[in-house]
Amino acid sequence: MSTADASPKFRLLGGRIPYVEGPLKVTGRAEYTDDIKRPGMLYGGLLRSPWPHARLVSIDVSSARSLPGVYAVLTGEKYPTPFGVLPITHDETAIAVGKARYIGDIIAAVAATDERTAELAMAAIRVEVEPLPEYADPQTGLAPVTEPIHARGLAGTNIQKEVVQHFGDVDAAFAQASHTVRVRGTFAGVTHAFTEPMATIAESTPDGRLTVWSATQVPHYLHRALSEVLGIPMHRIRVIKPEVGGGFGGKSDPLPHEIACAALALETGRPVKIRFDREDVFLTNHGRHPTQNDVRIAADSEGHLSAYDIQAVLDGGAWSSFGTVTTYYNGVLAMGPYRVPNFRYRGRRVYTNKPPSGAMRAHGGTNIRYSVEVALDELAESIGLDPFVLRERNALPPNSTTVNQLRITSTSFRQCLDASRVRSGWADKFRRLPFGEGIGLGCGFYISGSNSPIHFTPKMPQCTVHLKVDMDGGIAVHSMQADIGQGSNTLLAAIVAEVLGVDLDRVHVVRVDSDISPVDIGSYSSRVTFMMGNAARRAAEELLATLLRAASELCGYPVDQLAVERERYVPRHRPEVAVSFMDALHKAMEKVGALTATGAYSSPPMGGTFKGARAGTAPAYSFAAYVAQVRVDAETGEYHVGTIWAAFDCGRPLNRLAVEGQIEGSIHMGLGQLMGETMSYRSTRLMNPSLLEYKIPAPQQMPRVECLLVGQDDPEGPFGAKEAGEGPLVATLPAVANALYDAIGVRFHELPITPDRVVRGIEQRRKEGRPWKGA
Amino acid sequence: MHLDPFELYRPSTVEEVVRLTRDLGAACDVLAGGTDLLPNYKMHINLKPNLVALEEVEELRSYTLERVGSMTRLADLDRDTDFARAYPGVAAAVHEVATPLVRERATVGGNLLVETRCFFFNQTFPWRQSLGFCLKADGDRCHVVPQKERCYATFSGDLAPALAAVDASVELAGPDGRRTIPVLDLYDPGGDGIRRHRLRPNEIVVAVSFPAASRGLPANYQKLRIRPTFDFPELGLAAAGLVESGTVRSLAIAAGGLETYPRRFDEVTRPLVGERLNETNRNAASEAIMRSVRPVHNTFLAPDYRRRMVGVYVRRALDRLANGPPGVPG
Repeated sequence: MSTADASPKFRLLGGRIPYVEGPLKVTGRAEYTDDIKRPGMLYGGLLRSPWPHARLVSIDVSSARSLPGVYAVLTGEKYPTPFGVLPITHDETAIAVGKARYIGDIIAAVAATDERTAELAMAAIRVEVEPLPEYADPQTGLAPVTEPIHARGLAGTNIQKEVVQHFGDVDAAFAQASHTVRVRGTFAGVTHAFTEPMATIAESTPDGRLTVWSATQVPHYLHRALSEVLGIPMHRIRVIKPEVGGGFGGKSDPLPHEIACAALALETGRPVKIRFDREDVFLTNHGRHPTQNDVRIAADSEGHLSAYDIQAVLDGGAWSSFGTVTTYYNGVLAMGPYRVPNFRYRGRRVYTNKPPSGAMRAHGGTNIRYSVEVALDELAESIGLDPFVLRERNALPPNSTTVNQLRITSTSFRQCLDASRVRSGWADKFRRLPFGEGIGLGCGFYISGSNSPIHFTPKMPQCTVHLKVDMDGGIAVHSMQADIGQGSNTLLAAIVAEVLGVDLDRVHVVRVDSDISPVDIGSYSSRVTFMMGNAARRAAEELLATLLRAASELCGYPVDQLAVERERYVPRHRPEVAVSFMDALHKAMEKVGALTATGAYSSPPMGGTFKGARAGTAPAYSFAAYVAQVRVDAETGEYHVGTIWAAFDCGRPLNRLAVEGQIEGSIHMGLGQLMGETMSYRSTRLMNPSLLEYKIPAPQQMPRVECLLVGQDDPEGPFGAKEAGEGPLVATLPAVANALYDAIGVRFHELPITPDRVVRGIEQRRKEGRPWKGA
Repeated sequence: MHLDPFELYRPSTVEEVVRLTRDLGAACDVLAGGTDLLPNYKMHINLKPNLVALEEVEELRSYTLERVGSMTRLADLDRDTDFARAYPGVAAAVHEVATPLVRERATVGGNLLVETRCFFFNQTFPWRQSLGFCLKADGDRCHVVPQKERCYATFSGDLAPALAAVDASVELAGPDGRRTIPVLDLYDPGGDGIRRHRLRPNEIVVAVSFPAASRGLPANYQKLRIRPTFDFPELGLAAAGLVESGTVRSLAIAAGGLETYPRRFDEVTRPLVGERLNETNRNAASEAIMRSVRPVHNTFLAPDYRRRMVGVYVRRALDRLANGPPGVPG
């Protein structure tokens, strides 16, 4: 069934390649930021606001400063320049200036000989405040408020961003529709819960340079923010990314503590380390926005979709972060994998006095796709169509354009539908399992790399890869792509080895270091495989051309007659005069010494010309069709997802081990949001900032996962590949929700679906006298 | 989060422990497995400058099927198939505590005296400070049920209800010697909820002992929580008793995870002894127990749901005693 099976022409790609850094990680030898100690290093502490919203009247740091072992105490005024990941919404400061905007906002930073001394110093800081009204509910902030959280909010409200889009004529489509459905979704905020809490070390040296080691997904954006806020030119700042223990979007913004840490290093002249505990991580958040959406869908009597009418209100928390993008994505990412001729969207993101929301795996797509896919399940039922048939009737074909000008090139969505339907035994199960057991379909699509490099004017490549090979035959690979555990170093090495024909152990991916790594805009928007992969391939092909010319000189056969084999270049029909990689290399080095090569990637021009047209554009998209099977205990409301058949189109999977890991991990994360994870607030206070009370699913809750990789080659992806890091998450949630409906006849429009809600739903349906499957 | 420095004492006899705790007075805590106390210390909750560790006390570490030393690791009990046959309900409760890794450290005595838990209490110092602290630590008011008299933190041990259901006792040692009391007498239903036990000053739990009649008695334990591991109970329901050909010969039901102390529901179960168990009296018993409990909103799952699950769990517990093999874990 698979069209992307490992092709015989590849030695490595398409196979199962264990992570190159795996042995170091599993033996504890891999170096994370907190493993690094610098001579004379101090520890930083961050005093966080206990007030949700307050004017800072005075901060007296004199007694804190005079404590023995305290080297510096900083407040916001020293570095007041605002920053933020998007150039258009710079509204964060390293340390609060003028106001504290949430419980956890940083209001002072301390450097001391150790963390306990830093804590004592923080306890000695006297802060006088004038409390301001606190805003917990984004709905309140839609209208003018007494004390807007930021001056830049829309017309005296707390609205940070409003997006209004209309394509076609939605009202006319609804007027003509034979069937309409509506889902009003409510989604609790969730957070990334990566393994490694953030950590940063900064060191200012007498040569006028500043070096920063940090657990970040985007070293380049951190580099820029440090320069902007501290007023130091980028070329005098060096950013190093050690191993990173997961990010999922939570380490993609430049974060206040990273800049505060650098400020403390400048202030003291000593290296300073700041490391977070889990509560710090929860308070820094930047997780998925708490969301309310309202999705209306119109269709004709045969199930052809005619219009989407969507509204969303997003709880942004105290800062903008990626929020402008999130606001767009909550509309435009509804636009696949189906053809929808009319589309209207109004999205508003509202500041509240809570930890900031931001980008989290399947950013902007997860909640809207949940509501859409649940609505489609309801639509199929009301028309009397099988959910698969409804999707097939509306599937976007390859090489098409959505009404909002998203360019779809490759799509194997139909193959995904076929695979999950057949493998799951759908026909024998749907509406046929006994009460309490059910099966459901959910579909997804996601961007394979944002087309918009956030900061680049004039346009520069989104990724550059450098190769260097010397007489030892080892190939050093430099790039600022950030491996955060997703396997990009492994893929980078494998692509280079594949193209050159050399063994994988010749290739060393050098730790990200802005002094030597050419710019790549980091690990977010599922861009790395696609963009870095293309850049790496081009760099390796350039190096290969040099090696083949040398081999040609040695063996006397023209380059176009040489085949690349393992560790050698072989003239067709004359294997006995093959030239080894090392001989070719040494020949090529005779005049120039060590060889270097460069490859870069820029996405092609795309998208419409209307306001916001770039949002959601990507050089390719992934597609998914998941089927979930569940069993519900109708008395307790507890349920178990037994199997998920995960049919996914990532084009050609380049490392099957990594792709399967991403799918399984995505399903685990998606189930978390569905089953129990919630940033639980009472007003503005986060009640569960710990991994004991934030309910990540336990191993026993994981379903059996059957990965069905049915993608066909993408025309622009490296070796035909597309993303597999975020898209695999989105289909999980609606597949399980629709399976729950099949099991017990209850629709869930609010997440998480906790057992008490299940019990209440069953009871409600019984009260209404609407038995389901005879129960 | 970090541990503040403390003085650690490692006595090797029960008598030494008692003497040390008396000498140190209120300025000390007793350290069993530390899986609950030390996380609380990291959050700077009710810190003491001295810790008296029980780890080296040989007597506390030994166990037989009649008498289990208080420092017995839960993992050791969990691995013991003889223990599981003898006390299936208690073994099930042991198995449900936290995670395998935690059970390697956690002890029987520690689980009996585990600190009560609450959203407003199990938080870091700055978190609690931002709310003006609470009645149970550093403050003077309760945020769950706003008033200043009583703490509503939830009793979160798994073992106590399971032990209570089989009439187990605890052996205590203190300055006035040793005494043995029923398990539930460790707790104080009439208290203010702040103190989690009613041990006398400088008294420690030495062992748990089982009456001969409890050996092999059918029993079960069901634990409610959002995840099947890690989490503390949001309801732990233990039942033990003999149902022969449908007639109840003996029966006890106890629950934890609901209120500030674990409880037994003898007023409901005693009248059933000698009766034939049927759907009517089973449902009536479940209803009566459900009505008598008063969980509050200080754990993850909503109190009305937890209460409702008491009804479901009692029905299931009785069905298992009547029909099922003994000790099928919940």
